[in-house]
Amino acid sequence: MEKKYIHSVVRITNNQLMHNGELLLTRSAEDSSWPVEMYRGLHLQYPKFFKMDNLCKVGFLAAELAMKDVGVSPETEKPDFSVLLLNSTSSLDNDISYQQTIADETNYFPSPAVFVYTLANIVTGEIAIRHKIKGETSFYIQEKFSPATLSDVAELGFMPHKGIREMLIGWVDFLEDKCDVLLFRISVNPENSISEWTDEEVSRWYEAGVQKK
Amino acid sequence: MDSLILELKEEIIKSLNLEEMTPEDIDSDAPLFGEGLGLDSIDALELIVLMERNYGIKLANASEGKSIFQSVRVMAEYISKNRTK
Repeated sequence: MEKKYIHSVVRITNNQLMHNGELLLTRSAEDSSWPVEMYRGLHLQYPKFFKMDNLCKVGFLAAELAMKDVGVSPETEKPDFSVLLLNSTSSLDNDISYQQTIADETNYFPSPAVFVYTLANIVTGEIAIRHKIKGETSFYIQEKFSPATLSDVAELGFMPHKGIREMLIGWVDFLEDKCDVLLFRISVNPENSISEWTDEEVSRWYEAGVQKK
Repeated sequence: MDSLILELKEEIIKSLNLEEMTPEDIDSDAPLFGEGLGLDSIDALELIVLMERNYGIKLANASEGKSIFQSVRVMAEYISKNRTK
């Protein structure tokens, strides 16, 4: 088993956005759109963002930060890079929105723009398109967040025969305004890394964003 | 016609989630697809739904949209001639 190293960590909770442990943004109001507030707070320019569902929006935002110091622009093709994500609610947040467009027989107008996001793995595609990532993309549905499962997926994701040397991997979940994101950029290269990838490290970064009651 | 054009621009912004845009940003005569607003195929489907939902116009097939969605002005002219609500 080849060692893996964490190069960037993004944590998004219901009301906080953190990058490498630094608090970047705090939600200003409960009734605001948290993904849109983060987009504006990060001063991003990507009009397609507004067409995305909430799951894609938070995945996109996390990827923007995780890829910020990757050393090459989003326009550079990345054949040795993968995107592997997990969550527990799939695309249910958007599925509910879509269901609302077909719930009333007298006002039955299924929205194509909402329908296209009724699959969780669309978020891996949006990230791959944005950053020209050409390696593997996968999305796994799990009952709950588990560092051990994340490690298993990461292990499978590094494919020496395909030359995969780096990846975005993490937990990207959004349902009815509840946001739970932990995204890592990891590599087999230890240079300039934050730490070695271990289950304990993954757990520590996840807990860093858990709200204390 | 001017009020329908304005209404249409507001509807397009809302339906296609063009949140960064205002009606003033949309040139009434600019192409909606390609170099103009840069809309895609899903946007075209959403415009077809908008025509039916708001104006009672049912397009028999998506290819009809090609001539109707040339610009906001062409769309407005088609709507004013064919609307049922």
